[in-house]
Order: sequence, then structure tokens, then C-alpha cells
Amino acid sequence: MRVLSVSRWLRGAVRAPSGGPGSPQVPQPGRREREVTVDVLDHLEHLALVDFRDSEGVERLQKAIQFADQLHEVNTDGVEPMDSVLEDRCLYLREDDVTEGNCTKELLKNAKEKVEEYFVAPPGNIPLPKLEE
Amino acid sequence: MAAAARGCGGVWCRVWQCGAGGSAPRGQCSVAGSARSAAVPAGKSGLAPWVPVVGLEIHAQISSNSKLFSGSQVQFAAPPNSVVSFFDASLPGTLPVINRRCVEAAVMTGLALNCSINKRSLFDRKHYFYADLPAGYQITQQRVPIAVNGTLSYSLCTDNKMSQMVTKTVRIKQIQLEQDSGKSLHDDTRSQTLVDLNRAGVGLMEVVMEPDMCCGEEAAAAVRELQLILQTLGSSHAVMAEGQLRVDANVSVHHPGEPYGVRTEVKNINSIRFLAKAVDHEIQRQIEELENGGTVLNETRAFDSKLGCTVPMRDKEGKQDYRFMPEPNLPPLILYDTKSLPANMNHQQVVNIDWIHERLPDLPSVKRAKLVEQYGILPEHSFTLLNEDGLTEFFENVVKHTQMKPKKVIGWILNDLLSYLNQHSLTVKESPVSSSILADLLNLLERKEISSTAAKQVLVELWKGEGKTPLEIVKEKKLELIQDQEALEQICQAVIDGQENEVIMMVEGSLCSTAVCGTKKGVKMVFFFSPVDWHLSCRASIGAVKLLLSDYQPFLLLSYFTKCFCRN
Amino acid sequence: MLRASLREVSAALKEGHVSPTELCQRCLALIKSTKFLNAYITVVEETALKQAEESEKRYRTGQPLGVLDGIPVAVKDNFSTAGIETTCASEMLKGYIPPYSATVVQKLLDQGAVLLGKTNLDEFAMGSGSTDGVFGPVRNPWSYSRQYKEKLVPKSHPEDEDSNWVITGGSSGGSAAAVSSFTCFAALGSDTGGSTRNPAAHCGVVGLKPTYGLISRHGLIPLVNSMDVPGILTRCVDDAAVVLGSLAGHDPKDSTTVQDSFKPFELPNLTDVSKLSIGIPKEYHAPGLSSEILALWSKAADLFKNAGANVIEVSLPHTRYSIVCYHVLCTAEVASNMARFDGLEYGHRSDMNKSTESMYAATRREGFNDVVRGRILSGNYFLLKQNYENYFVKAQKVRRLIANDFMKVFRSGVDILLTPTTLSDAVPYTEFIKEDNRTRSAQDDILTQAVNMAGLPAISVPTALSERGLPVGLQFIGRSFQEKQLLTVAKWFEKQVKFPMIELEEVKRHDHGVFQHQKSASFS
Repeated sequence: MRVLSVSRWLRGAVRAPSGGPGSPQVPQPGRREREVTVDVLDHLEHLALVDFRDSEGVERLQKAIQFADQLHEVNTDGVEPMDSVLEDRCLYLREDDVTEGNCTKELLKNAKEKVEEYFVAPPGNIPLPKLEE
Repeated sequence: MAAAARGCGGVWCRVWQCGAGGSAPRGQCSVAGSARSAAVPAGKSGLAPWVPVVGLEIHAQISSNSKLFSGSQVQFAAPPNSVVSFFDASLPGTLPVINRRCVEAAVMTGLALNCSINKRSLFDRKHYFYADLPAGYQITQQRVPIAVNGTLSYSLCTDNKMSQMVTKTVRIKQIQLEQDSGKSLHDDTRSQTLVDLNRAGVGLMEVVMEPDMCCGEEAAAAVRELQLILQTLGSSHAVMAEGQLRVDANVSVHHPGEPYGVRTEVKNINSIRFLAKAVDHEIQRQIEELENGGTVLNETRAFDSKLGCTVPMRDKEGKQDYRFMPEPNLPPLILYDTKSLPANMNHQQVVNIDWIHERLPDLPSVKRAKLVEQYGILPEHSFTLLNEDGLTEFFENVVKHTQMKPKKVIGWILNDLLSYLNQHSLTVKESPVSSSILADLLNLLERKEISSTAAKQVLVELWKGEGKTPLEIVKEKKLELIQDQEALEQICQAVIDGQENEVIMMVEGSLCSTAVCGTKKGVKMVFFFSPVDWHLSCRASIGAVKLLLSDYQPFLLLSYFTKCFCRN
Repeated sequence: MLRASLREVSAALKEGHVSPTELCQRCLALIKSTKFLNAYITVVEETALKQAEESEKRYRTGQPLGVLDGIPVAVKDNFSTAGIETTCASEMLKGYIPPYSATVVQKLLDQGAVLLGKTNLDEFAMGSGSTDGVFGPVRNPWSYSRQYKEKLVPKSHPEDEDSNWVITGGSSGGSAAAVSSFTCFAALGSDTGGSTRNPAAHCGVVGLKPTYGLISRHGLIPLVNSMDVPGILTRCVDDAAVVLGSLAGHDPKDSTTVQDSFKPFELPNLTDVSKLSIGIPKEYHAPGLSSEILALWSKAADLFKNAGANVIEVSLPHTRYSIVCYHVLCTAEVASNMARFDGLEYGHRSDMNKSTESMYAATRREGFNDVVRGRILSGNYFLLKQNYENYFVKAQKVRRLIANDFMKVFRSGVDILLTPTTLSDAVPYTEFIKEDNRTRSAQDDILTQAVNMAGLPAISVPTALSERGLPVGLQFIGRSFQEKQLLTVAKWFEKQVKFPMIELEEVKRHDHGVFQHQKSASFS
């Protein structure tokens, strides 16, 4: 019967191979394992100004990279990267009119610290201390 | 090697050598073939010459009403945080919307610099943390900027007299649109930084000049020309003092035939004069460093105008990685030309490159050529005219209202007017002598109603800005040329009868000063010929008498005085 | 009354059977008594009542603004609302009161809708359970339904009773729960990888993800700018069409909205599906798909086939890479979008004052949860110069392949794709939290994520109850900007399956409604 046939090929459909997305990761044999060293983590933390100053951080990142490595299974020869689905559209141009601004009070309202009409930051960009092992 | 050669037109405009004492004198400017032979200083064999390489990154603030991606106003020196929109302050959820005028300004500039305009350009995010960058990233054009591969021609004088100019070109790598950052004011006493976002989001054009230059003078000249072009186009006011034009220099040195050296970036240059200084100093510093066995670090240095040298900027904690990423909130910027323009397109959404090209004003180089052709002035004069804001208009106005030939007018403009303005740090607009007044004065001179010396005296009076006309001053000071022959003779006699020891008679020449010196019985006589009126003043005590006589009667006078002196 | 659809209650307002203030009060009262659901972060009682009063005035003078006038709605707490705290369920934005409203919020207000409050979510919309926000998890209203309770195996310890509650799915769980528990007639969510469709399916409501570029994102605090869209949660497909009609269209404040003109539409009552071609993508038979849902899926396919539609199997070969692709692109964008949170202009600010950098770092450590920070770190890794080509650009290429898969299928004549929305029905919270956020998201988003990659419209329609008495939804995916066709088919399907109404004690008490939905034979 027609009804059954449809469900049959749904049930017997080709399953995605194991090791696909969602299942625990096993590094592919022969693939160079990307080492997340303390240096790399330190570099990232300085660039991103978030920290994960523990082994959990390294592990997390390592897992994330391993997960992302699956991308290399896909053959993308001759494929152009896609920035956005709107890549064939053109940017909307605005007329050169002054339509915003003049809202100093509103802007400063949400700032936790301010001095007169300025936002306030601590002094300079003093580099964060290096991450120890 | 080719690049180095190109930068100096196949010729090193300067060959840099380090003197024996360590504190190096500046290199000598040599021309053409002699450069190489002059390269190695005697007595210091083994010291190879250095080739400096200078590239520039110039940020020009776009002249527009509102900012690049938001509708807040572009206003210099507004009260803090008063011209800041929600987007400029990076409030979450706000999105960029591009300002059409900024796009047009970039296209104009690209066309003026002979660039290829990319009809499809993209925007990217450049990430770094700083108090004056609220979003933590700047929107710029890193992958595909709006214009690429242009050239800029500029001129240098090869000597101090401005009598020989040589034209050079520098390649323009690209022009990109990007956001300006806010301003942070460091308050060290209270250990805090005040942040004003008024400038955050203002449109910038970054113009990247390839390292085709080789010294501070070239860099300065190139920037000056760019500045003029931008001001002519109106795409940027380009006033360095107001931060509308900012220049960073990339400097390195290497030996001829060897690969380029490590380069440093020099920032914090506030004027064109300082640019030349900063670049030259950095070149010198690098040469010294290398010759003393040191290395040049790939670092950023700031120019300290007080010390006249570059100092390392605060170390940016190791490597910086801007993690460029496409700006997902801005689809590609599409520009059209007449060919590619689709029918029925909303005009407001179209930037037509051809349309802009047709309406470009005359660029400085064209203006200068026209001035030379139209008025018969020298090329170097045309440079000075364009270099000074408003001077060309002034000059042309005077020419329009006077019978004096432009070739003569230019002298008054460049020598008298300009030097006075410079002495008193005034702009042309601030000149107490207007073009019409100067024209009146020159007319008096041209009609031989006064002499040139008298004219200069009138000018001195006019500078006071008391509102008197040239004619009034002439009458007041009795500077009129005496036409009456008899009166002339009487005055001469009076002088001679005074039995002075020294009689100096000056009759100024029209084309040049011709000094005729002679002595007759201990009396020195100096004759200068000119079609200017004469002025008589006696200084009995010193015994010098000046007589200015018109050249209407040169022979008469000569014969007269010959008679006089023969008598004596 | 509260259980009526938006259109029904709108008609009632127009005819004067109920007043906007009464409606508003009832909803507010119901919100109070369903507080245990934790669907709302902020309830704006005062302003809501004021808005209701204004609406009432308009109805009295016979000049309502439209269908939405006087309709209570809720909005996910990652949409900016002027004067109303907007937190994104994060410490970072606790206390942040935006000075402007998102375009979509403003549009709703301009049409007279009554904004009841801001709904709960996963922190910054990162998650698929609505469990990872600082205000705690959202509970699925169906946990307290008769349908679910009667299927529960009685616990040995009565204290464990409460531990049976199931999640809403996410990240727009609060909005889904709000609509599902009848406290509002429509709610806004956001959808980046399925965040509207997933909770819609788990909560038995309609969840619409419009085409990317159709609805303005101005004011929506972004997760992934190139994939985010505002999502619409309603009780039925017709309602979704109404809300869509009031929100769609070019917004000059959002350069990623298309400039094409949009015309709101009414959905026809489709009777003849014989001209339709329904595609069944075989890769959506993903690992972990419960047999129940599989059965429902095939039953749905049969439904179309029996009604005369052309139902064919299709292939979207790169489906299985969409999660990895999303992982890279999402974390990269997150890394970028979160760079603005430094405490200087708004939001949480650490007391650490030694230097700008240390203040930023401390603020971000204190303000973001582990999930957010983890993604920021990974994202920055993929954007490093040495990794950019290998990861980010590579992911962009895979994205194109995924989008092309859909294009090919639609070009071959398929009108609509039919797939499951989730792998299973809603799991109990205690089970859900056993796995970490990233793993969970990776698993749950598999069926919804690829649609965001391609920017296509999709809708989850409640289909039937599972064996545990919980809702299961099925997903329809349409062509870009073909919402009308998509919703028409979804409406037809909705009519066929007659999904049962949730039976909640609290609602029964509050609702002496004129309108009662007939409970007829359901699809399962």
C-alpha cells in the first residue's frame, strides 16, 4: 500500500554514519592533533579578554577544535565562501542627514561610572599578567 | 630594487651616510649619476650607503553632515558625548546603515588619485579592545576596499631657491572606508581615562601609499599634495591641526641590492613639518642602530615634537591579531557606472561613478598648469599660490582689477603680501589688505603716479588696516611722483648746494637694478633706474642724500649732474 | 477566552464581547498564577494596563488600529524595549534599560498591541533548553497538563513529584511557554539555529521562522548576525500570518532587510493539495530521532500523499555538517558580537579598577556564564590569522554547499519540505542538564539549523501528543520569501491534524471563556 511504502523508506533510510555530529569525538587517525598549549590559551585570553584559567578551559577549547575539525572531511574545492545569504543584494544607502545624537543624558544613564559628561575608564591599557602553567 | 629605484625616480634623492662622530649630519642631496660615486665617504671604507624606504597610511576625515554608519552629526569640538547615537555608543541591537555622501567622497578621492574603483566592495570587522572603541571592533574594508591601484604625483624643489622642481609619483595601494574611534583623555592625576565618543563613527578614508618615498621631504610633499586634492574635491577638509588628516609613516632602511629592512611605524605626527622631521629622524635612528650592530624592531613609535625624535609607544603586549571577519550586517556596497546601471533604479540608491567623474573639479596639478598658461607665471609660483589657502583667488582678483601684468603682480603677491602674512601668522582671509585695495595700489604704480619704493611704503601703511585707500595715503605722505622738470632741477640743486660729501642718487630701473657707480672728487654716486616716482629726503647730519628720479629724464639728469659735478 | 486564537479574540474585542483592559487583567492574573513556569523575566503590569486602556478608548470610538489592537503579547528578553529592562538572561545586562525599542516591538506597539512583559531565555540565546539563563530555567506548561500527568509513572517518593517537569526547549522557551499557557496571544522569539521552532514544537504552539531579511533585526540583541531572525510564536497558523503581516518589510535601520516591498496576506483555505510537491529529505532521519517522531513524520507524509500531493524523497547531502559549520560560524560571530560588553557604556561593570584591560576582563568574567565565555574563546580561536582560512572560511564554504543543497531541491520542483522539528519530545529537566550545553545544542539543532544557514523560512506546527502526553511538532520549510505558500500548506496540515488543546488547571480556573475549543479526535 502506498501508505506503507512511504514510511518504509523513511524507516529504512540511510542513517548518517556514526561519528557524525553530536556523537563523542574520536580524532581521525593520521590527522595532526591540534595542540592547545598554554601559550595559545594565553594569547586568546588577551585578545578576547575572557578567561578560562584552568585545565577545564584548555579541555573545552580542545573539544571545540576537534569538533570543528570535521569540516575538513568536506570537499570544498572550487566553492566560494558565503558571507551571508544576502550576498547578491546591495547595500542600502542613507541620505547624509543628521537624524540622531543629542542624547547625552540617555547614554550616560546606563553607564555605571561617569565623570561629568564623559564615560570613565581606568588608566591605560596595562597588559594582563601572563597565564602560568 | 626596482621599488627603491622607482621611489626616487631611478635616482637617490638623498644618499644617507653616517658621519664619524656618531651624531650624524644630514645626508647630502645629490642628483643623478653622481649619487653613487659620492656614496662612500672617504676614509670610511666598508660603510655602504643606505636606501631609506618610506610608506604612508593616511586617514582623512570625510567632510559630511553625519557619520559613516549612523545619523549623528560630524562636529568638531562639540560638548562631550553630545553628538553620539545609540549605534556609536555600541548599544546592543543597533546596526550600521551607510551614509551615501561618504561613499561618494571615497569615489571622488579614488578617481582623483587615478584608482580603479571597485564596483563591489565589502566591509569587515577589525577587533581590538580600547576605551575609545565601544564595540570592541572597527568596521573597515580589509578584503575588498572601494578603490585600488592609483597614483599621486607631487613635486619637490631640488634646491632652496624654488627654482627647480622635479615631479615624483607614489603609488596608491588602496583607499578604504572605515570608522573613526572616539577620544580618550588621559587624566593621570586621578588615574582615569575620560572617554568622549563624539568622534566615534565619523567616516574616514584611509589612503595607503606604497613605500615609494625615501625621505621626509618626499613624504611631506606627497601629503601636502594629497591634502590639496582632498580640499579641492571637498571630500575632506584635511586640516591636520583639527585631526582631519592623520599620517602614520612606515619607515625602514636597507642596503642597495638587499631585501627591505624591518620597518617601524611612526605615529602621532601633527603637522606636515613634523612629518618630514619624524621620518628623517627615524631613518637616521635606524641607520645608527644598524651601524652600531643593533637591530630595528618591528614596533610602533610615537613622534615627540618637543624632543624632535621618535620614542617607542607602549608595548601592545606581544602580537596583535585583529581577527578580521566579514561585517555580517552590511551587504556588499555596489557602485554603478553608466553602462552597468539598471533601468528603473531608485536614484537615491545609486552612486554612479561616471557621473561623479564628470563633475570632478580641476585638481591642483591642472589648476597650476592653467595658472602658468593663463598668467605666464613660473611653475614654482603656481605651487605657492595653491599652497596658501585663498591666495590664488586673491591673485586672480588683483589681476582682474589692475592693468599691471600678472607676471609683475605675482611678485607683489608672493614677496610682499605673503611674507607679511607669514610674519604675522595671518591667513589670506585675515589679510588687512584686500585684493581690491592692492589692485588700486598697483594701478597707481602702473600709471607711474608713484614709484615702487613709494608703493612699498604705502603698503606698510595699508597693513595697519586703518581703512585708508592707497590714494589717500599717497596724498597724505606726499609720495606723488614729481613730473615738473623745473621742480626737479631745483631739488637737485638744493642737494648739491648742500655740499654734502656723499651724494647717492637712486633712479630705479624698470626691469632690473642697474647700479652705476662712480666717484667724482670723493663723491660717490649710485644710479638705479626705474619708472617709479621719486622721493626726496635729506639727512644733513650724515651727509647722505637720496634722490629718486624718474627715468623719463635719465639723460637729462645724467647730463645735469655731470654738469654739476664738473662744476664741483 | 484566554484559550482563543488571536484572530478570535480580536473579533471579540471588536464586537465588544470583551474589553482590552479585562483581557489584559486576566492575562496578568494568569501570569501570576503560573509563575512557577518562570516564563517571564519582567512583567510590566502598569504600562500594559495603560496600553489596554488606550486601546479600549480606540475601540469605544470605533477606531481600532487593526487586528492587533488590544491584544496582549510578550517579547523575548533579547529584544530592546525602551524603558523596560532588557537582560538577555545575563548578569551582563541585568539592570540595563535600553533607550530605544526594537523595530518589531515598536511595530507591535504602533498597532495597539499590549506588551505584558519580557520572556525568559537561555543566556544571550545560547542554548536549546531555556535552562541556561541567570533567572533559572523555564518549565514547559505541558509538565502540568492533564495529558502529561496522567501518563506519568507514579513516583516512589512524593518529593520527586516536582522533578518530573520537562523543559520547553530553547532558546525562546519563555515565549513558547507564555503562548502555550495562554498568558498571551502571540510572542516574539528569535531563531538562529532553531530557537523558535524547537520550543514551539516542545510546547505545542506554532513557531514561525521567517526568511532572513524579511523582518527587521534592529533592536534584536544579536547572536549570529548572519543567521538571526525574529521568530513568531502563536496558537495557530493564521495568527502567525497576522503577526507576520504586521512585522515584515524593509527597515532603513537594518541594512540586512531586503528593499522589496512586502504585502501582508490572508491565508486561503487550501482544499486541493494535488498540485503540491512535498519533499522528504532523507538526511533528516538523523541519529537519535525517536521512533515515535519517525512514525509521525511518515504518517504526515502519507497524509499529503493520500490527499493527492506529490510526495517524494529528496536529498540534502550536507545536512550532517550543518552543526559543525554552525559551531564555527556561530562562535566566531559570538566572539565578535560580545566584544562590546566591557562595562564602559552600559551593563555590568566590575569594581576592578587597575587598568582598562583588567576591568574589561573582570567585567566579562563576572557578566558572562560559562557557555558564553566558552564560545567567545572558541570563536576567537577560529578567527586567529593562522586559523581563519582553515576554519572560518572553510565553514563559509560548507555553508554555501548547504544552501545549495536546498536550492537544488527547490529548483527541481519541490515546493515544501517536510521534516521533524525535534529528535524527541521534551525531556525532563533533570535529564537535560546531564549533558553540557554545547553537546545538547549540537544534538537538538540538527533538524533546524540548516534552515538558518540557508536563510529559508520554516514553521513548526504542533502535530500530535507523544506517548508521554507531550507535544510533537513537524517542520515545513519553504522557498525564500514564499511565506504565503509555506503558511498555506502549514494551515492545511494544522486543520488535518487537529492538535489537542492543553488542559491546564490554572487556565481552567481563570478562563470562563465564551470560546472553548472543541476537542476532537487528534492526530496521534
